[in-house]
Amino acid sequence: MTETAIKTQNDSPGACLYCGVQSTGTHFCSECKKILPIGEGPDHFSFFGLPRKLRIDESELEKLFYALSRQFHPDYFMSASEPERQASMDRSSMLNDAYRTLRDRIARVTYLLTLEGYKEAEKKAPPDLLEEVFELNMQIEELKAAKKMGDEDEVDEARQGLEEALAGLREKLSAIDQKLLALFEDWDSALDRSAAIDEKKPLLNRMSELLSHRSYVRHLVTSIQEEL
Amino acid sequence: MPVIELSLSGRPKSARVVGIDLGTTNSLVAYMSDNGPAVIRDESGDGLVPSIVYYDQQQDRLLVGEEAGARLITEPRKAIYSVKRFMGKGSGDVQEDLSLVPFEIAPDSEKVIGFKMGDRVFTPPEVSAFILRDLKRRASQFFGEEVSQAVITVPAYFNDAQRQATKDAGHLAGLEVLRIVNEPTAASLAYGIDNKDEALVAVYDLGGGTFDISILKLKDGIFEVLSTNGDTHLGGDDLDNRIITMLINELERGAAKGISSDAALFQTIRKAVIKAKHDLSEHESSLIEINLGESGVYRNELTRDQFEALISDLVERTLGPCKQALKDAKLSPEQIDEVVMVGGSTRIPLVRARIKELFKREPHLELNPDEVVALGAAIQADVLGGGRRDLLLLDVTPLSLGIETMGGVVAKIINRNSTIPASAAEMFTTWVDNQTGIDVHVLQGERELVEDCRSLAKFTLKGIPPQPAGLPRIEVRFVIDANGILTVSARDLRTGQQHSIEVKPSYGLSDEQIERMLIDSFEFAEEDIRKRQLIEARNEAETIMRAAEKAIADYSEGLIDDAERAGILDALDDLRRALGGDDHQLIREKMNALDAASHHLAEMIMDGALVAALKDRKASEVAEG
Repeated sequence: MTETAIKTQNDSPGACLYCGVQSTGTHFCSECKKILPIGEGPDHFSFFGLPRKLRIDESELEKLFYALSRQFHPDYFMSASEPERQASMDRSSMLNDAYRTLRDRIARVTYLLTLEGYKEAEKKAPPDLLEEVFELNMQIEELKAAKKMGDEDEVDEARQGLEEALAGLREKLSAIDQKLLALFEDWDSALDRSAAIDEKKPLLNRMSELLSHRSYVRHLVTSIQEEL
Repeated sequence: MPVIELSLSGRPKSARVVGIDLGTTNSLVAYMSDNGPAVIRDESGDGLVPSIVYYDQQQDRLLVGEEAGARLITEPRKAIYSVKRFMGKGSGDVQEDLSLVPFEIAPDSEKVIGFKMGDRVFTPPEVSAFILRDLKRRASQFFGEEVSQAVITVPAYFNDAQRQATKDAGHLAGLEVLRIVNEPTAASLAYGIDNKDEALVAVYDLGGGTFDISILKLKDGIFEVLSTNGDTHLGGDDLDNRIITMLINELERGAAKGISSDAALFQTIRKAVIKAKHDLSEHESSLIEINLGESGVYRNELTRDQFEALISDLVERTLGPCKQALKDAKLSPEQIDEVVMVGGSTRIPLVRARIKELFKREPHLELNPDEVVALGAAIQADVLGGGRRDLLLLDVTPLSLGIETMGGVVAKIINRNSTIPASAAEMFTTWVDNQTGIDVHVLQGERELVEDCRSLAKFTLKGIPPQPAGLPRIEVRFVIDANGILTVSARDLRTGQQHSIEVKPSYGLSDEQIERMLIDSFEFAEEDIRKRQLIEARNEAETIMRAAEKAIADYSEGLIDDAERAGILDALDDLRRALGGDDHQLIREKMNALDAASHHLAEMIMDGALVAALKDRKASEVAEG
């Protein structure tokens, strides 16, 4: 592990570091064609030149990722100047980070919510699950106890009960995902219509709530799997 | 007058970048020829340099490769092998390995292992540097010019310290390491060149000391690694150790007591075991013969079944990482289009059978598993040298990166299998009023607790202006570069000022240590050069002497007078005397003197030969006409 210094960029905004011309390029200077330093980071959507829409064609995104990788990768800047190499490194790592986030729809919507000023979704039980959760915790305790006692029959029984519950939870997860996907569509069309904020806000609220539920159910699934 | 520049190679020769596979057992160097990647071989056609270094302090001799290997049995304590297993490790990590090798370890080896050889102590990067320097020399001789830039491969599952140690080794060998490339990824490059448009490929790499599995997606010249996993402590050496331990136990019970402490005998056994292992890839059984000296000769027939029973759990251990890598890539074994086998240990039939079973398809074996990694490194070297832009490797970091938080818990900031370069920014602040420094502990690994992860480094953010607790906002940026090596930088978000960081790597060499070693290794290099110059001068002098003696004996009659003849004989005597010493400059001087004294005679002989040749040619031309 080594340390490097971060360069302070105090040039006038928009002026190209290399040629000084007011550049209109996104990643490369429109004038001298050199790779631009990243500055105060663009968000993941705009980095790809995409609107903040939630339905993304994964193979299209991959194509974009590959094309931009070919433009930014440090492999192609081995003999360039130090600032260009740094810029290539910064743009590559941001590209990789952005691709990792946008390719996965849950990471994508989570990221959108952060951009829109939402805090990270906390685990929150869906209301229709509250009774089941109590039941489930009992079953988990039973399995633990049976394991401790070494009672094979009891273990099998408890395990079977949990397996069934697990299947139910997985259904619930996919139901949540379906609802999310429907909201993705609503969100995208709201963007297309340049809808006002009070139309978009309820959609974001709903997505944030669904993510909380999703995260809760997933946590439950993992802890049951661990016990099994 | 216009100057016409002739370009023979198409680009400046100084941009020649070679690809080096620095292996546990063997190392090799390859380059991009006009016909594709090729291994650079010695006169006898051998491309593999055994990764063995021999050092004799009394004679001040340093040998690498075959020559060093030849001394493993005669002088076992002066030769070091399998040094790769010790790269980036401290003595606490390798107790088990140390019990199986005859190396003497220096007392102060907690952060970097030191091998004691005579009064000198060599660290693994230095020993590796000797091997790299040998490869560098081999390449430089091949091209007839100094090679100074290289791509070096490492196991994909190498951590930060192991990668850094490899880079240090290159630096010590006088090489600029343009890139550290993962071995399985390099292998896929060598295989993937003529492949179809899109394919999912699994590379199974079982080498001398390490195991890697990588899953890649190949599409339009992009080699995107989806996931990687492995065990940097599992390879052919471990298979050998199984048989060695069995044999030693058997011998201890029988005729030869106390043999496990006999380093020379240990090497004899090891050599016999490796031979048997190789035999068993081709044959159903192999006869192990070990000369025990006074106790006679030990003979034992080892069958393939017995061998497989001894190693089956080790082979099994490679399957877990394979399944994890598939899971991380969100793929099932059936979805893999091609399976590529890399590393000498994949010659073992049991290994091939288990992999075929797991992926339900025949693995690729077309390319020599010992050479494929170096060939791939040469391709990547060509890309970095600016030779081609159609290929692009997108590799991943094998291990998650985290920082220590309250209660000894690790908070992950970059997940494993993230495409590199990858970065993360974390915000730090103070806990108490007027605190001016913040300690940060960086770790690598998948586990929750600090004690279960690998410590990479500790550093302190210093010079924070005294403020109430929680007010300072220091952003620390962690970047894993394309080599898989971490760099850290920090700045104060309130002032925009860059912050000083004092990094204390948990394992590995400090910059000062490397500087000191650089000087050491240059001194060594000079000694080596002087020795080589002497050998070369002697060889040339002997050739010239033979020619001059022959000329005097065969032709001097009638061509030159007695005085000239005496002058040549004197010069011959002088040169002979110079050959008795070890001053290569004196030898060169006397060679030149002999050359001058015999110049006239040589001309006369040449004239005579020319006249004779012309006569012949005229005769034949006449005959044809």
